[in-house]
Order: sequence, then structure tokens, then C-alpha cells
Amino acid sequence: MNGPLLAVSGLSKHYRRAGKMVAAADDVAFDIQPGQTLALAGPSGSGKSTIARLVLRLIEPDAGNIRFEDADFLALGGAALRARRARLQMVFQDPLAAFNPRATVARVLDDPLRIHGIAERSERPRRIAALLERVGLPTELAQRAIHEISGGQRQRVAIARAIATKPSLIVLDEAVSALDVSVRGKILELLLDLQREEGIAYLFISHDLGVVRAIAHRVAILDGGRIAESGDARAVIDVPRSAIGKALVAAAPKLPAPARTAS
Amino acid sequence: MSAIRRFLRVPEATAGAFILALLLAMALLAPLLFPGDPQAIAGAPLLPPFHDWSLPLGTDRLGRDVLAELFHGARTSLAVGLAAAAAALLIGAVVGTLAGFAGGLVDEVLMRVTDAFQTVPGFLLALAFVSVVGPSLGVVVAAIALGTWTGPARVARAEVLSIRERDYVAGARVIGMHPLEIAFREILPNALPPVLALSSVIVAAAILTEAALSFLGLGDPNRVTWGGMIAEGRTVLRTAPFLSIVPGIALVLTVLGVYLAGEGVVETTATRRGLS
Repeated sequence: MNGPLLAVSGLSKHYRRAGKMVAAADDVAFDIQPGQTLALAGPSGSGKSTIARLVLRLIEPDAGNIRFEDADFLALGGAALRARRARLQMVFQDPLAAFNPRATVARVLDDPLRIHGIAERSERPRRIAALLERVGLPTELAQRAIHEISGGQRQRVAIARAIATKPSLIVLDEAVSALDVSVRGKILELLLDLQREEGIAYLFISHDLGVVRAIAHRVAILDGGRIAESGDARAVIDVPRSAIGKALVAAAPKLPAPARTAS
Repeated sequence: MSAIRRFLRVPEATAGAFILALLLAMALLAPLLFPGDPQAIAGAPLLPPFHDWSLPLGTDRLGRDVLAELFHGARTSLAVGLAAAAAALLIGAVVGTLAGFAGGLVDEVLMRVTDAFQTVPGFLLALAFVSVVGPSLGVVVAAIALGTWTGPARVARAEVLSIRERDYVAGARVIGMHPLEIAFREILPNALPPVLALSSVIVAAAILTEAALSFLGLGDPNRVTWGGMIAEGRTVLRTAPFLSIVPGIALVLTVLGVYLAGEGVVETTATRRGLS
């Protein structure tokens, strides 16, 4: 493949709220290279999640282009779109809400394997066990119901489901924000591990600049649906230039950014 | 197990379950206790109740055993009530799910059809349907379902509209699941509980509608029904009122039992939700 894995340009989405048009995404443009991580950071209401959902075609944009794996992603529809979805996966913020409340772990992982014809019925239990092992979960967990396992385990199951179809890009929408601090680090390690071994690119949505700095190669800071500034993650976070970037860095108390730049 | 115990702790649930169990026993035991045709002549006509102990509830105008008719009538009432409610819930759940999930034009069309059915009184619809197609048990069930599926459809649609926006539905789309599979495997099962809460009302209404149809002579003529028995007794209401009163009491008790049991189920699930 030549060029970026995902190329977004001119992406816009407006909502009508109390009679006024509000821009959730306004002429947004960014690229993601294969195996790289782009973080979208910004305060709540800045359009991060809208952009994630636009990229995944969960909502349709008012205007703009999305090229994914050298093809016009917005031109796809029906069965062609569903087939292409195997390459572009998502992990949600709330790992409990992201699964059918009646599902078991096995069913959650079985669905993508079945839908995309990745494995025969008889082979699927083995594939499910392998996926669970890959994300660091015991294989006995397969028979449990989703609501019976812990939040950290659930998020690992969500990652297992996302990698089941061997995607080239995973959108992580605040994927570690709802987790315990101790669990958060382990999940981030797992994500970095997967990226190193499988070459998966991430679109990492977060409001936490500390996490962004740890995982992202590049960052784009959003404000009111527009990209205020973007660039190398460390450079942007250490020396933000936009007003919103400075405000975000100032709001993150643990961030040792000024000290780092001084040394 | 604990759900049943909690169910039985609600007094109206116990009463309702008792009546329903009695009714079920009557329906199941009818062919054993009263073998043969309940519409066969068993003795002298218009025998009053509690006179001849081989015919405890007496006989009707043609000399048929009222108790045997009552037992066999329980079968019809229960079968029609349950079948019609099941059909109405099934149609309603499917229509409501499709309308709520598809949205747009499909939603508009399905909901206008629902409106159309809802504006016509259900009983009138059933009456017209049976008089056109002809009375038989299947037709009566279809006729009753035709007038009652709109309630479940509306409840299912409202529930689906809220579930549709949940993350797990977005998750199902992301993994490339077909929209019909999302609607019927991911959404519908989670939208069912409030729809099922309607079932007791629908069963009770269906039993009454069937009785009313039979009363008007539009029931299945080959089956004994309580409505038909009341209609039979009407002609001799002054001389032998028990012929209408006995099946009337059975009807009232049945509907009451269904209501109470339904109320009990709602109560039980409500407390369970409150606890968790």
C-alpha cells in the first residue's frame, strides 16, 4: 500500500440543537500511517467521539472524504461495507454497554469469526481460546456471561473481538478512561504489544494527555469540532501552541511537561 | 427457584396462580373426567344444579351435562386466549422492532398501518373477520390477534428506539453484522420484557372476545365454549338462570386469575429490578 492507511479530509457533521446549528466536526482532516497511532484529544464536546463514529460510518457525514486502505470508504454500502468493516474495528469506552447484556464471552468472540467467515463452526472454539490467550485472559472465561467478569477483563474481551477479524486500524474511543488506574496501564501495554506484533494502527480518542503521550505517535487537538493543532505527540503536549492545547496541558496536574522541557 | 418463591409472596400472585392452576387442571382433565362428546345428551333437559349427583350442575335446554360442558369449555377458552395472545405478541414484537430499528419510511408506513388497526375497535374487527372467513378455532384466534397486536407493537417500537442508540448495537454494526440479525438477535430479545408485561391483559381480553364472539354465534360450532353456553342459556334466562350464571362465573374467575397472575409477575420483576 502506498500512502496513508486512513486519509480523512474536509469531514463535517452538523447537528441542530435548540434551533441552532452546532458543528460536531468542521472541516476535519488527518492521516494515519500503517502501524501508527494518532490521538484525538480535546475537552468534552469537542467532537472527538463524533469523528470516531464518522470514520466508522456509524453516522454519515454532511461533507468530506474518507479513504481507507486506498479505497473510498464513504462509497461503500450494504454487503461491501459490512465486509470491509473487518479491517476497521472499534473499542468502546464503557465495556459493559458495548456488549449485549445477554451475551457470553464466547458468543461475543464467535460473532465476528462467523460473520466474516474466518473459521468453520468446528474450529471456532479453538480460535476463541487463542484470542482470549492473546489478550491475556484464561480460556475458561469463554463460558462466562459478560456481566459476570470484571471491567478490565471486559475491555480485554472487547480488544479480543476487535482483533478477531485481523484489522489494520482500530478506533479506541476513550477505551481506557473508564478503567481503574492499575488496570489502565496493563491495557495500554497490551495495545502497544499488539501494535508491535501485528502492525495495527490506532485512532486513539482521549481527553487524558498523560495517556496520549504514552501511546500516541501523533496527536490532533480538537476544539469545537475543528483541529486546533496537530503534530508529534510529545512535541505538541510538551509545548502546546494553541490556546486549547495550553488549557488542556494546564488542566492535567500530573503532567511533568514543563520540567521535562527544562531539563 | 427463588423467583417463584418471591412470586408466591405477592398475595394477588398466589390467588391468580391458584385460579390459573385450577383452570389448567380443568382443561387437562376434561377428557379424562368427562370422556366422550360433551355436547351429547346426558339426561332430562333443564335439570337444576345440585339435584342429581350424577349431573351436579344440572343439564341445559337439550339435556347436556353442564359440568362436562364447563370443563370442556375451559379448554377452548384457555387455548384461544393463549394462542391469540401469543400471535398478537409475536406480530406486535416483529412489527414494532422493524419499525423502530429501520426508522424513516418503513417506520412511517408500519406505524400508520398500526394506527389504522388501532382506530377500528378490536371487537368489530374480529366480528367482521369471522363473519367473512367463517367460524373455526383458527379463524377466531386470528381474528382476536388482528385486533390486539397494535399494543405490543407500540411498546416494542418505543423500547427498540431506546435500545437502538446503545453502544452494543453500534458494536454489532462495527463487526459487520447484518441489520436483520442486529434487529432480531441483538435488539428484540432485550426489548421483550415490557412487551411481555402486556401479555396478561391480552390473554384476558382474548378470552373475553372469544366468549363474546361465541355469544353472538360466531364461535367454532363444533366446540363447547363458555360464551356459547351463556348464549344458549339466554333463551331460558327467567326459568333457568343458572345456565348463564355458571359459565359467567367461570369466565369472570378466569379473567380475574389471569389479571392477578400478570400483576404478580409485574410486581415480582419490579422488586427484583429495585433490589439490583
